[in-house]
Amino acid sequence: MIKKTLVLIAIVGLLMVFWPLMSNFEFSQNLSELASNYVRGSVNELNTQNVVTSVIVTYRGLDTLGEVTVLFLATVGIGFLLGKRKGKKRPASELLQTTSSFLFALIVLFGVYIFTHGHLTPGGGFQGGVVIATAFLLLMLSDVNMKFNHTILQIVESFSGAFYIVIGIVGLVLTIGFLSAEIIPLGEFGKLISAGAIPIIYSFIGLKVGSELTNIIDTMRGE
Amino acid sequence: MVNPIYIIILSLATGFLLSIIDKAGRKLSLTVFYSVLTFNVFVVADWLYRFTVLGVSTLTINTAGFKAPLSINLQLGIYESFVLLFANLVGLLSAIYLIKKFKESNISSLILYLILIMGVNGLVMTRDLFNIFVFLEILSISTYALTILTKNQKSLSAGFKYMIAGGVASTFFLLGVVFVYYFSGNLNLEFIDPNSLTNYGVIAIFLLAIAVFIELKPFPANGWALDVYESVDSGITSVIAVVNSAGIIFVFYKIMPLLPQNLLNIFGIAGVVTFFFSNLMGLKQQNAKRLLGYSSIGQMGLLVSALIFTMNSPNKLIYVIVGGFFINHLIAKAGLFWITGIVKKEKINDWGILKENKFLLILFGLLLFSLSGLPPFPGFWAKWEFIKLLVHGKMFFVVGVILLSSLFEVIYLFRWFTATVKNDSEIEEKIPFQFAKYFSTTVIVGISLIISVLMMRFVYNFQTIHYLPIIAVIIIYLLDFIPSKIKAILSLGAVGAYGYYIYPLENNLQLFFGIIFIVGSAINLIATFNRKKLSKGFYGFLLMMIFSFGNLLVAKTYLEFFLAWEFMTISSFILIMRGKRAQKASLLYMIFSTAGAYLLIVGFALAPSLVSNSALMVSIAKIQLPILSTILLAIGFMIKSGSLGVHIWLPEAHAEAESDVSPFISAILLKAGVLGLLMIGISYVNNTPTFNMFYWIGWIGVLTAIVGAFLASFQEDAKRLLAYSSMSQVGYIVASIAILSHLGWISALYLSFNHMMFKSALFIAIAGIYYRTHTRKMYEMGGLIKKMPLTYITVLIGIIAISGVPPLSGFGAKWLIYSSFIEKGWYLQAGVLFFSSAVSFLYLYRLIHTIFLGQLKYEHQNIKEAPIWFIIPQYIFIIGIMAISMFPNLIIQPLNSIVGHYFNSTIAIDGYNITSSLGNWNGNMVMLVTMGVFIVPLALLMLFNRKVQTVKQFNIVYAAERPESPQTTHVAHNMYAHFRKALGGWGKPRIWEFWHDSAEWAHTFGDFFRRIYTGNGQTYILHIILYIVVIYFIMGV
Amino acid sequence: MIFTLILGFVLLLIGIYGMLSQRNLIKIIIGFSIADTGIHIIIVSIGYLRNRTAPILNSAVDISKAVQQVVDPIPSALVLTAIVIGLAVTALMLSFVVELYKKRKSLSIDDYQELKW
Repeated sequence: MIKKTLVLIAIVGLLMVFWPLMSNFEFSQNLSELASNYVRGSVNELNTQNVVTSVIVTYRGLDTLGEVTVLFLATVGIGFLLGKRKGKKRPASELLQTTSSFLFALIVLFGVYIFTHGHLTPGGGFQGGVVIATAFLLLMLSDVNMKFNHTILQIVESFSGAFYIVIGIVGLVLTIGFLSAEIIPLGEFGKLISAGAIPIIYSFIGLKVGSELTNIIDTMRGE
Repeated sequence: MVNPIYIIILSLATGFLLSIIDKAGRKLSLTVFYSVLTFNVFVVADWLYRFTVLGVSTLTINTAGFKAPLSINLQLGIYESFVLLFANLVGLLSAIYLIKKFKESNISSLILYLILIMGVNGLVMTRDLFNIFVFLEILSISTYALTILTKNQKSLSAGFKYMIAGGVASTFFLLGVVFVYYFSGNLNLEFIDPNSLTNYGVIAIFLLAIAVFIELKPFPANGWALDVYESVDSGITSVIAVVNSAGIIFVFYKIMPLLPQNLLNIFGIAGVVTFFFSNLMGLKQQNAKRLLGYSSIGQMGLLVSALIFTMNSPNKLIYVIVGGFFINHLIAKAGLFWITGIVKKEKINDWGILKENKFLLILFGLLLFSLSGLPPFPGFWAKWEFIKLLVHGKMFFVVGVILLSSLFEVIYLFRWFTATVKNDSEIEEKIPFQFAKYFSTTVIVGISLIISVLMMRFVYNFQTIHYLPIIAVIIIYLLDFIPSKIKAILSLGAVGAYGYYIYPLENNLQLFFGIIFIVGSAINLIATFNRKKLSKGFYGFLLMMIFSFGNLLVAKTYLEFFLAWEFMTISSFILIMRGKRAQKASLLYMIFSTAGAYLLIVGFALAPSLVSNSALMVSIAKIQLPILSTILLAIGFMIKSGSLGVHIWLPEAHAEAESDVSPFISAILLKAGVLGLLMIGISYVNNTPTFNMFYWIGWIGVLTAIVGAFLASFQEDAKRLLAYSSMSQVGYIVASIAILSHLGWISALYLSFNHMMFKSALFIAIAGIYYRTHTRKMYEMGGLIKKMPLTYITVLIGIIAISGVPPLSGFGAKWLIYSSFIEKGWYLQAGVLFFSSAVSFLYLYRLIHTIFLGQLKYEHQNIKEAPIWFIIPQYIFIIGIMAISMFPNLIIQPLNSIVGHYFNSTIAIDGYNITSSLGNWNGNMVMLVTMGVFIVPLALLMLFNRKVQTVKQFNIVYAAERPESPQTTHVAHNMYAHFRKALGGWGKPRIWEFWHDSAEWAHTFGDFFRRIYTGNGQTYILHIILYIVVIYFIMGV
Repeated sequence: MIFTLILGFVLLLIGIYGMLSQRNLIKIIIGFSIADTGIHIIIVSIGYLRNRTAPILNSAVDISKAVQQVVDPIPSALVLTAIVIGLAVTALMLSFVVELYKKRKSLSIDDYQELKW
């Protein structure tokens, strides 16, 4: 009873903490100076159609590197925690099996599309990676005894991460700055080959995220 | 010169590739792993060197080819590189410590560890709020996963609680970050305008700050952290306690400029509250790692408040205070957690296993000393400066709470220490030698010592003499393999050389105390020649104590004085602890000494700054101490001199110390308190006092004298009897100082000198008896007069000198004291003192009657006289006593001139005749008359009493039953029971009960409060949420 | 669109309430996840500007006046990172629960209080 009251007090208290933020909230009328600079810079400096992408991959590239690291840590951590597991399984229906092997390639293709076009359209490495992982999830669902070649997964995961960093270092070596997009020609605005290193970075991120998520799902699924 | 961003790059790249590298063998992956960690240390160390020595300006690293605020930038300056150096270093050492685990465990652990260290580096360097969030998560997630490096039920559930708590905190942090962006339009710390965060913006910054604060584990929202400290592998715990904490406290430091002042004040107070409660709760803790957890949380609280309260201070102060607490906590906690992992005993009472491993024990001791804020470790300087700062800021309440909590910490740490060293259970198992673990711990202790020396040398510019006590310990430690006799000779030589070195003293009062401290010690040192075997560790600390005595005299500043004072405390504590059953005694001594030391810190902090370059003893005359300062200093000094109320450490310490240490403690150490009191007196009489404090001190002295005398009478243990006697005698001295008159001070100094001699002689005499009989219980002795005649003579002369009957020096002392009391008009006090002199006959009689007279005990038939090394110093002192009894001018004349500096002389000295306003005393004449009176009956006895029939002593037939323990039927057993009865309720040990009950209360409170840590993860989240709400409402928007 | 902000806060509070009131470890994690989602919605709402379009400068936007036509790209960038981090934490929490369950066969948080005081 005491605990329930305390929980109630805590929630009401929190509401009172948040209340001024909610009741006085107004949408901004104009972009902040920083945001405006990003929008302009995305056009003028990076040749990137998707402003969010230019923010994520270049301007705030360090965040993204960190984000990739966090996901990597989760993968490693879960592997460390769970190790090899065994469980009972029931085979999936034939319908699911057939459809999924048919869909698998399409989904992977779609994932690749998303991360290679991250600088042009909504989406990017993370989204693409997640889509790819769902393709593998589908395979796992349909074929419970499916085994992945962990070495390949690991190699993809490790090297895509390492290449991401190598691209970053190139910027540093060329004295532009770590994770700069301008290490290769920026290309023509709005085209697939544009935005400098952004699509390359996003592709590596996509591969990395795809392989990591697959790995997580596979670890959690057990054998 | 390597761009520090490579720390992040290299660690990450290695982390990504490590699982591939591992396919080529663990050896390779371990090599890469350790290389990267070492690389980090070197990069940061290099930069720190550049910033501090070469004066390079702060480095800013932009990323992505854009300048901040467009891109995220990193910054590396003095502060960053300093914090990172220690974080990386402890990270590396912890990794070395864990090498066995890393060899056996999954490669994932290496990856997680590497990225954890990378996370701290990023966290400290980045200047972008959201990037801080990202690095915070990197740090947290890798830590969460590493909590199960040793996987068991406990570490799993602790890890889960940690995750939930951390998750909630980071949720609030994220909310704070986005609202800071909403209000300020920026995420970069340099570009966020604090003015945009007024009104509702305060809530944004509040959310941000409280989240970081929760990560710093404030009371009571910190149960999760305790569970983690208790259950996780020691190597990882030290990383959490040190590396993670360092990173997070730095984040707090970074956002501090954004916080409104009232919120900062609240956090400062919350830090102090945390420090208080975690130490209070630590009192009850038995689990070693959880105890360290409490201490760790407390230290973080202290660090936060230090960070906040020093905000507007000069840089040097911030370095000493914040840097000092930071390094101190970091090093001590890392080292101690590692030692828990080596010892592998959960309960602190099982740590006796450590006492067989001298090397580890020394490391353990050094780390505990460092954590307790004793010199020369950084925490000592930090505490001194911090208290001074707070006192100047008039934050007395905070000062009180901090010092009380520190005292709690000292209590549980030293209880742990004494329980470990003095553990008397038989231990068969041995601590296995593991090179890596020993290596890390040794290195960290070494670093701590180096920093301590650097601080003494470069921050405070101390001269060699102030390090001398430590140098002595180190040199003797290195020479510990040689026989103790040679070490004793060396020590005697060192004391002589030291005396010669400080000899040209500024005034004769210093010289007087110099004789008590240095010459007295040198003579007492002769008794230690009787030591057999190696006596490892003894002479080092003995020298440390003697040198500290001397340093008290030559100290020129408050800090130098206090440093010597603390060295004296440390060395005497260790010497007392060497006694066989000295666990309780040494602990009590340490607790009371620490409390006294804290009072001194505050007292000195309140004192105005010194104006001359003379020794403190001299220059204090020109200083008018404020009332509060006088009171605190007086209490602090009176604790050391064992005054009534704070005396309970005294009998224990004097009795339980080794028998050749007791004379040092009793005859000399107590005089340090007298010296202190005299110094206050000097300041007091030279400046018009507004509050007659010494009147009350006088009463305390008088009561100490009588209570001490009564307590001494009821002792069965010869050393305890002498200890209470010392208490009583120092009571006389204190009372005489409090008279604040010429005659009073002459009496005080005269008695001090006298007491030094007779109490040394008596304690050494008892040492000799103990050496032969192996007992201190007086009723187990008897009839030793024939077996140990020389010792008998010493004791006889000693007790005559104490009792104050003619002809010996004690008579002069009493005469002077009564004269000065009557002159002052303190008749009642004089009456009480007179009565107490009568009481002292009771115990003195007992000493001679029970030990030397009566029947010899059967088991003592074959004992011999005490060894020559005990006889020599006794007789040196006896000669001294006889000399000043015969020729009192030898001492009265110089004392007259010393005290003449402070008061106009009220006595006239003419030949052997000393005249005061009340009459005259001729010591020489008294001696001659008494001799004459003595010789007449002696001659008569010799003439008429020739025919004495001797009976064989053990020729006894028992007429009836033989009693079970015959000694207790002896008249000497419980000798003054009837007096005790007559005293009624006054005979009860009330003061002892008072302190005992206070301790019980503190423990009960601690136990009560720690019940909030129910172990339920959900309750811990509730604590966190409620804490946030409460702080919000205290802040008020 | 201010309702999205309120919705975010409501979700946050519901999530926290769930964490405080549910005994089941999985439900506590679900609570955490809900709270996290609440925060994500709040972040996105903060970046919203009335009558503007997504910050993707394709044919729908006049590039020279883009600054007047798109919503704030920064919160969108932040929320992506936040989502990924939330996912990572949630996944790790769940695997802790899997291991805890393996050791004691219980999902009640009350069964894991052996460390206390």
